[in-house]
Amino acid sequence: MSDPAVSARDEPLLGRHVQPPCPAAGPFPATVTEYPVTFTGTAQEYFRLWIVNIALTFVTLGLYLPWARVRNRQYFYGHTWVDGQNFEYRASPAALLRGYLLVAALFLAYAVSGQFESTQWVAGVLVLIYGAAYPLLVRQSMRFQAVNTVHRGLRFRFHGTVGRAYVAYLVTNFVAGISAGLALPWAWYMQRRYQTEGLAYGAARATFRGDVGPFYLIGLTALGLTLAGGVILGVPLFALAAALLSGFDAGLLDSGNILSSGLWLAALVAGYLAVLILYVVAWQYVRGATMVYMLNNVELGGVFRTRATFSPWRLVWISVSNSAARVLTLGLASPWAAVRQTRYILGGVTVRAIAPLDDFVAGVGGEASAFGEAATELLDIQVGF
Amino acid sequence: MGPDGGSLALQGVYFDGRSSRDQPATLTVAAQTATLKVAGGAAEHRWPAHLLDVEAPVPGVRRAVTLPGGGRFETHDDAGVSAWERATGRNLALGGIRALESRWGAALAALGASLVALALFLMYGIPAVARQAAFATPRSVLAAFDRETIGFLESGEFFGPSRLSLARQAQLGAAFREVAGWAGSNYPYRLLIRDGEAGGPNGLGANAFALPGGTVVLTDQLVALAGSDRELMGVLAHETGHVTGRHGLAGVYQALGLTLVTTVVAGDLISAGTFAAAVPAAILSGGYSRAAETEADEASGRYMLETYSTTRPLRTMLARLERQDRQKEGTATTSGPSLIDLLSTHPGTPARIEHLKRLEADGLPAPSR
Repeated sequence: MSDPAVSARDEPLLGRHVQPPCPAAGPFPATVTEYPVTFTGTAQEYFRLWIVNIALTFVTLGLYLPWARVRNRQYFYGHTWVDGQNFEYRASPAALLRGYLLVAALFLAYAVSGQFESTQWVAGVLVLIYGAAYPLLVRQSMRFQAVNTVHRGLRFRFHGTVGRAYVAYLVTNFVAGISAGLALPWAWYMQRRYQTEGLAYGAARATFRGDVGPFYLIGLTALGLTLAGGVILGVPLFALAAALLSGFDAGLLDSGNILSSGLWLAALVAGYLAVLILYVVAWQYVRGATMVYMLNNVELGGVFRTRATFSPWRLVWISVSNSAARVLTLGLASPWAAVRQTRYILGGVTVRAIAPLDDFVAGVGGEASAFGEAATELLDIQVGF
Repeated sequence: MGPDGGSLALQGVYFDGRSSRDQPATLTVAAQTATLKVAGGAAEHRWPAHLLDVEAPVPGVRRAVTLPGGGRFETHDDAGVSAWERATGRNLALGGIRALESRWGAALAALGASLVALALFLMYGIPAVARQAAFATPRSVLAAFDRETIGFLESGEFFGPSRLSLARQAQLGAAFREVAGWAGSNYPYRLLIRDGEAGGPNGLGANAFALPGGTVVLTDQLVALAGSDRELMGVLAHETGHVTGRHGLAGVYQALGLTLVTTVVAGDLISAGTFAAAVPAAILSGGYSRAAETEADEASGRYMLETYSTTRPLRTMLARLERQDRQKEGTATTSGPSLIDLLSTHPGTPARIEHLKRLEADGLPAPSR
């Protein structure tokens, strides 16, 4: 593998972004250029890459996993084009492997020690450490992701501070918890703002022009959706459960009642699926709407904005139907689903700039440990944009 | 070095690593030196060829060469870059993987290999690892496990104090000490006789089971069901087989392993706790536990043959338990029927009896551990 930190290390630090040609032209200069984002990956091509990587991961007992992850990302980044140039993902799989092994060891220690009373304190201590280090891990993960994303030969960077990470990921979640969720949209806002404001492309820093209000709107929409869906799906199920309960009460689930227990099982499965679907719909809506809002409110170096025109509702439908397709094909449709979703999202993103895209200059590079990345992936934290 | 030892010219774009400007350029690589000529005749860079790195190939993505000093050169000339890679031994492994990724035949083979690897891992890998982990677990942990489980069973009204006379309990205890002495391996064996129908809905009924630390629980109901003490000793010897084989603990680890595998395989699609993931896990656990039963039966069979020269009492007992199970479907061993019970407990008893018969016909099998 090549050196993961080839870039600006031994180059002199150059100044800020070159000013646009007419800085005094007001908020809407005449030369706004739109660059559509395009995705050129195909499901067939990605399927082959995906299945070969899965097989290699199995055959190497998991040791190939970091290479598989990196290749998957490289495929998606490499097929994402803006203004004739594609993105690249440059993480070093060897660095990821070290992080994975460390995290896997910790996770195993947690899982095993949690099984026995005499060692449960170990699991407890690990949970406490994880909770305390969570914001740090998120920050590390973002640094890692940013510094390994390259476009036009320039790296992205993430310069969000540790202190702000603790505010965005510990304080806000704590407040959201004690306020019974009332502060949850505020927590989302703080987290998205932290993610966006910390980002830089070369020397050009990103700013977030968004506000907390729209996050409350998103939260309320999701809540209303859940409540309405709960009533629509829940009432018939409750009626069915009540009918079944009145049918037999004394010999609860005793022998002979095969039919009743079969119905019970069906009702349980239906109820479970209903809850699952409601959860997926509400959560995917929040994710999609947040993504649209963020993309519409991020600004890079004062000359560059993104615009998202994809619909969060359409994204919900794509997520739900993708999940169904994955389940029905026992996972074999995953590549198709991933390509479909990426193509829809990126097809609705446009970059708008008042300066040519080749006017950005490098900023300070920066090493990032792969541990944060590995930890957040294995412990299942969703921090992606 | 170029494909034929000569030089190779690649057309592409050059980024200097300091600005986002793309400049059309030609990169010429020869055996010793690489030369980059930026269009417009502005500049020409020259480096020793070995300082250049080629990024690993990804299907459909244009190739990138990283240059000393942070620059990069990107080209659509995949054939040219591949020839250069082959000639200089760059990216051998990942180049081979890209070749696999480009073929449908390889993709189908990979699919087959994945399924085979998964099946092998589930059938042999997890049990083997769980077994090793179970045997590596210190005795103090086993003792804690026993204490905790007994406490849980008592508080949950799974059983109550035995109603057998103290003399009868002492008699059974003495007989069990013989079995335990035969089983050996220095476990702190103890027999707990308990009432399996203490009134709660969770009663165990006629039952016997072993905990990893050497605690064997026998219910009054099973004592009553047995036609003779030989039958009971057959059952208890079977339970000591579970202890020395560390089956209980291996079961815990197997469940853990299955959870991990389901999480990894299913990813964020279905979490490990969901119904969809629970069914295959339950079927597999059933398979693992049948293997453990066979092993414990073999231990018990050896004991029976050494002590009574026949495995008949244990076979009789198994057959009687099976009959009783069928009569009181669902209430005898667990509370309420479930999909899992249908799949795991019911088949097998005739096969187990047949196995014990074969053990007797073969005489004494392999020596104990």
